[in-house]
Amino acid sequence: MAKPVCLTFAASALVLAGCQTSHSHRAGGQATPTTAAGAGQKGGSQLWAENCIRCHNVRSPSSYNDAEWDVAMHHMRVRASLTAQEHKAILEFLKSAN
Amino acid sequence: MRAVTTAGLLTLALVGSTGLAQQAAAPDKYVTREEHEKVLKELEAIKARLKVAEEKTPAAAKETEQALDEMDKELKSVKSLATSVLPGSTKQLLTGYAFAGYTDRKGEKSNFEAGFNPILLWKLSDRLFFEGELELELSRNAEGGGETEVELEYANLSYIASDYATVQAGKFLAPFGTFAQRLHPAWINKLPDFPLPFGHDGIAPNSEIGFQISGGAPVGPTKFNYAAYVSNGPRLNTGMDEPEEAGMLHFDNNVDISNNKALGTRVGFLPIPQLELGYSFQYAKIGEDVDASAYLHGVDLGYVRDSQLLKGALDLRGQWVWSTVDDLTYDPTGALGFGPLSFDNKRDGGYVQLAYRPAKVNQPFIKNLEAVGRWDTLNRPDDAPMGVDEQRWTVGLNYWFSPSTVVKAAYQFGDRSDRMNGQQDVNAFLVQAAFGF
Ligand code: HEC
Repeated sequence: MAKPVCLTFAASALVLAGCQTSHSHRAGGQATPTTAAGAGQKGGSQLWAENCIRCHNVRSPSSYNDAEWDVAMHHMRVRASLTAQEHKAILEFLKSAN
Repeated sequence: MRAVTTAGLLTLALVGSTGLAQQAAAPDKYVTREEHEKVLKELEAIKARLKVAEEKTPAAAKETEQALDEMDKELKSVKSLATSVLPGSTKQLLTGYAFAGYTDRKGEKSNFEAGFNPILLWKLSDRLFFEGELELELSRNAEGGGETEVELEYANLSYIASDYATVQAGKFLAPFGTFAQRLHPAWINKLPDFPLPFGHDGIAPNSEIGFQISGGAPVGPTKFNYAAYVSNGPRLNTGMDEPEEAGMLHFDNNVDISNNKALGTRVGFLPIPQLELGYSFQYAKIGEDVDASAYLHGVDLGYVRDSQLLKGALDLRGQWVWSTVDDLTYDPTGALGFGPLSFDNKRDGGYVQLAYRPAKVNQPFIKNLEAVGRWDTLNRPDDAPMGVDEQRWTVGLNYWFSPSTVVKAAYQFGDRSDRMNGQQDVNAFLVQAAFGF
């Protein structure tokens, strides 16, 4: 039982990674340039769009004021293992868009 | 004849009077050269002024825009200053979730249920943070009476030690797989119930009491994250209290039964931002009066894609857990009434779930619908007292009122089988409304 399941996981991961590459090629410039740039070059809104949908639906930036985002983003930094740079850029974006 | 003469006279009179009138208006119809020049000059002056005004307008508009922008910024900073000095709202946030549900399962009594999980978050400094969650749920006690269960879901202090490492101490959600730590809250979980390995009598920990270090780091275009912890770990049920649960691990080891602590870790890898693959491991000494260890392994996969091409969001999750407990003889003297009993104490289980929400379709009702399908299973040792194997297919339809308010309806095709009772059908209809606040 264990082995086939493990293999299925690995296989589906590979298939998905494959799909993704072909999609981002096709998307060209119009979509988010995901794999091209390292996290260091990504802007706050892109980091927000990429990271904040990984576990749950995104809540609108306007759902909190600056002080509330300070607290929620600290929470998410720890929960989602974000780096200091990601945390700062996303927080700045949320504060500019709320 | 008379009439003709009258008409002729009248015509003459009319012609005469117009002629006179023309003569009288003549001096007003002409302007002098001076007057003409004056008007021309005035026209030139007006034209010049108009030109200046026209040239000035875009600059003035720009100035106004800049001034408005500055005012906007000023207003924002004043607003955030004002909210930050309001008592109580500075560094704390009261959040959490609530849910109401209904389950109608074959072979069981149908039941309404409700739960409320308040969470207090407290940012003590830029590095120090507290998170605490209570779980209030309705249940029935041993005498059959109603009861409200209060659980401390988590309570811990965390300290950001560096850009890539955070230390946490207290009770925290277990970084074993991703369901417990990231997906179980009712407003996040896409189905009304939990997958078998993570549910009631599951085989994976939901929380740990101890301390952990965790963080993440980019490596080129990819990303890693990690967590490692030392905790009380699980406790082995030797059949002393509940003979039917002999051999099972209990993860609510609030007060450790031994000096041996559990060690655990999870490593996650994101080759692309949408895909995460994880591996978890936990080792623990588990016996109070027996010398036995438990080894837990887990793999997890998460793929979330929100795209125009798909006209919405695709959410794929999968996890598998293996649990191995050293061989032991339970009730060796037979004093508990079911022994001596020994069996190969290996369990495994997992789930795969796929959800799709056409969020980018321009239809207000359709874009809030989400279809979910899940397959989950749990295999227990055949010779164990509760050696039940379970397997289920669940299909669900959700309606999202907001990003954290949802109503879920699902139908479950479930099978339970064990040596004593053979195969049983435990199909169920489940509904849940959940609200994250
Ligand atoms: C690793 C998974 C994960 C990621 C990634 C994630 N969240 Fe969360 N988020 C959660 C969980 C789990 C909760 C619920 C907390 C709980 O019940 O313990 C939550 C709760 C929240 C809440 C409710 C308030 C709170 O702090 O509990 C907000 C707001 C939020 N997330 C915003 C975000 C934003 C913004 C991002 C992007 C930086 C993000 N989340 C990324 C898992 C995640």
